[in-house]
Amino acid sequence: MNTLEITGLKVHFPGRGGAPVRAVDGVSLSIAAGETLGLVGESGCGKSTVSNATVGLLSPTEGSVKVLGTELAGASRETLRAIRAKAQMVFQDPVTSLNPRMTIGEAVGEPLLVRGLARGAALRDQVGALLEEVGLRADHAGRYPHQFSGGQRQRIVIARALALRPALLVCDEPVSALDVSVRAQILNLLVELQARHGMSTLFVSHDLAVVRHVCDRVAVMYLGRIVELAPRDALYSAPRHPYTKALLAAVPEPDPVTQRAKPRVPLEGEIPSPANPPPGCRFHTRCPIAVDRCRSEEPAWRAVGAASVACHLA
Amino acid sequence: MSDAPALVVENLSLAIGPAGLVDGVGFQVAPGEVMAIVGESGCGKSVTAQAIMRLLPDAIRQTGGRILLGGRDISAIPERAMRAVRGQLMSMIFQEPQAALDPLTTVGSQIAEALRQPLGRVRGEVLRMLRDVGISDPERRIDQHPFELSGGMCQRIMIASALISRPAVLIADEPTTALDVTIQAQILDLLRRLAIERQTAVVLITHDMGVVADIADRMAVMYAGRIAEAGPTAEIFAAPRHPYTALLLASIPRLSDVPKSKLAVIEGRVPNPSEFGPGCRFASRCPRADARCAAETPPLRPLGAGRLTACFHAEPPHGTQP
Repeated sequence: MNTLEITGLKVHFPGRGGAPVRAVDGVSLSIAAGETLGLVGESGCGKSTVSNATVGLLSPTEGSVKVLGTELAGASRETLRAIRAKAQMVFQDPVTSLNPRMTIGEAVGEPLLVRGLARGAALRDQVGALLEEVGLRADHAGRYPHQFSGGQRQRIVIARALALRPALLVCDEPVSALDVSVRAQILNLLVELQARHGMSTLFVSHDLAVVRHVCDRVAVMYLGRIVELAPRDALYSAPRHPYTKALLAAVPEPDPVTQRAKPRVPLEGEIPSPANPPPGCRFHTRCPIAVDRCRSEEPAWRAVGAASVACHLA
Repeated sequence: MSDAPALVVENLSLAIGPAGLVDGVGFQVAPGEVMAIVGESGCGKSVTAQAIMRLLPDAIRQTGGRILLGGRDISAIPERAMRAVRGQLMSMIFQEPQAALDPLTTVGSQIAEALRQPLGRVRGEVLRMLRDVGISDPERRIDQHPFELSGGMCQRIMIASALISRPAVLIADEPTTALDVTIQAQILDLLRRLAIERQTAVVLITHDMGVVADIADRMAVMYAGRIAEAGPTAEIFAAPRHPYTALLLASIPRLSDVPKSKLAVIEGRVPNPSEFGPGCRFASRCPRADARCAAETPPLRPLGAGRLTACFHAEPPHGTQP
C-alpha cells in the first residue's frame, strides 16, 4: 500500500468576480513507503495547496487523498485527527512555526502529551531523545525559541514533526528561509532521518537543485496541474516537457563555466491567472514549441520512457 | 581594466552604537562591469549598499572610509547635494519592486520623475526606455499602475526608472530574490545587457552564488562585516582561497553532485558584532584556524591576478607571483 495516494485532486477557492481560482485542478500522484517525492514549480502553481490538502489542512473540492489507505476527503474530525498523527508537516518559516511562549521541550513534547502517549519522566526522556536526534542538546529543552538560530529552530520543528513517528512527512519549502550554510545542515539532517526511519516524504520546493538532492521522484507543476512526473535521474538528465526544460535551463548554477555556456530557453511572458487558465495546454501561452493543437486540445497524460508527461509534442 | 573606475569604496567602516558592523570594506567597479557582493544574512552586504547611497538608517553611522563617485568623495557632501547624486549619477533597485514603486502613480510618471520632468514632456523617451527593458505593449503599460503589473514587470519598471537618467553606477540589492526562476533569468539577462550597452557600473548585492556565477565579472565575499575574499568570479569559483568561500561553495547542492550525498557544513554560527574578537572573525568556525588566527586580524592581501584574500593560510598557488 502506498503511503500517499492522491487521485484527481481539485482545490478551488472562491475568486473575485465569480470565477473560482483553480489552485489545484486535477492532480494525481502517489508516494510509496520510504520514498521521497519532490513537487516543484513556480509561485502560484498550486504546490503548497497540494501539500496542505495532504495533511488535511484544506479539504478537496473534488478527488481523493488517501494516507495509508484512509480517505481524507469528507473525513470526520476523529479520522482527520488520527491521520494527522501519521502525516506531519514542516513549514518554511521556523520562526512562525513555534510558539514563542512555549519552551522547545514543551513544543516537541506537545504531540505526545495531547494524544496521551507519554507524560512525566517518560515524556522528558522522549523529548530529550528527539532533540538529540535532530542534533540539539537534551538539556536545552527548557529554553525558548528566541534563544536559538533559524537553523536550530528548523531542527526543533523537525523534532516535533517526528514525535509521533509519522509515516509521511510533508515538507513545504523547509530550507527556503535559511542561509546557504545552514540549508546544507538541514538537508543533511533530512536525508539522514529518511535513511534511518524510512518514512515517506512529500518535499515541496521551488529550488530544483535542492529537490534533486533529496528526492527519488519528481513532479513538476504548472498552473494547478502536474506536467511531468519522473524518476529523479530521468527528469534531470532527459526532461521531456518544455516547461521542465525551461525551468532547468533557468536554474542559475553556482559555476560560472557551466552557467555561462548553458543554452537559454527563454520563456515569454508571465504565468496566467489560475482563475482563468488558457484553453488547451495551460502552458501554450509561454511554450517555445507550441503548435495549433496545443491551443485547443488538452494534452493527455502519457508515458514517454521512464517519465509521465502531459504534452502533445514530448 | 584600463577604464577609470566609476565607483571606488575605500576602507568603509560602519557602526551601530559601539558595535562595528562593517570593517574596512573596499572595492572598485569599472564602467560596464558587474561587481557582486555576496554573503549570508548579517554579513554587512546590504548596509554597505545603503552606505554607498547614503541611505543608512539613523542608528547606523559611517565611522571611516571614503566613497568616490567618478573620483569625487561623496561620503561627506551635504544631503542636499546628495539628492542630486541619487537618481542622476547613482541609482538603486531593490528586492521587492512592488513595495519600492509608488502605488498611486502611473509607471510612466514614476519613470519620468527620475528625469525630473512631467511625463508629457518626456513621453517618447520613457516609451523608448520601457521598450529597452523588455516591456511589451509600452503604449498601454505607461499609463498603468504598479498593481496592474506582475512582480517581474515591476522589476523591469524599477530598472527603467533607475537607468533612464544614465547614472554611472547602479546598486542592485537582491534584485531577483523575490522572483521566480524563469523570471529571474530574464531580469539577469536584462541587467547584463544594459550594463554593457550603457556602460553602467553595477554593484550586485546577493546571497545567491548561482546569480553571481551567472552575471558577475568580479565578486567580493563578505563575512561578519569584512571582505574575506575578492577577485574575478571565474577564478574564485574555480579555486577559492579563503576557507569560508570554499566551505560556502561546497555546501550548495548542485545539479551535478551525487544526490543524497553529505553537503559540506560550516560548524557553529556567525558571531554577533558584540562578540567580535581581535582575530579573524571566521576563526571559531574555520577548520584551518590556529592560535594566530584568533589573536590577529589577517589583512586583505593580494594573491596575484587581481585576487585578494584575508587569510593567513591562503598561499598563492605554486608558480604564481603574489
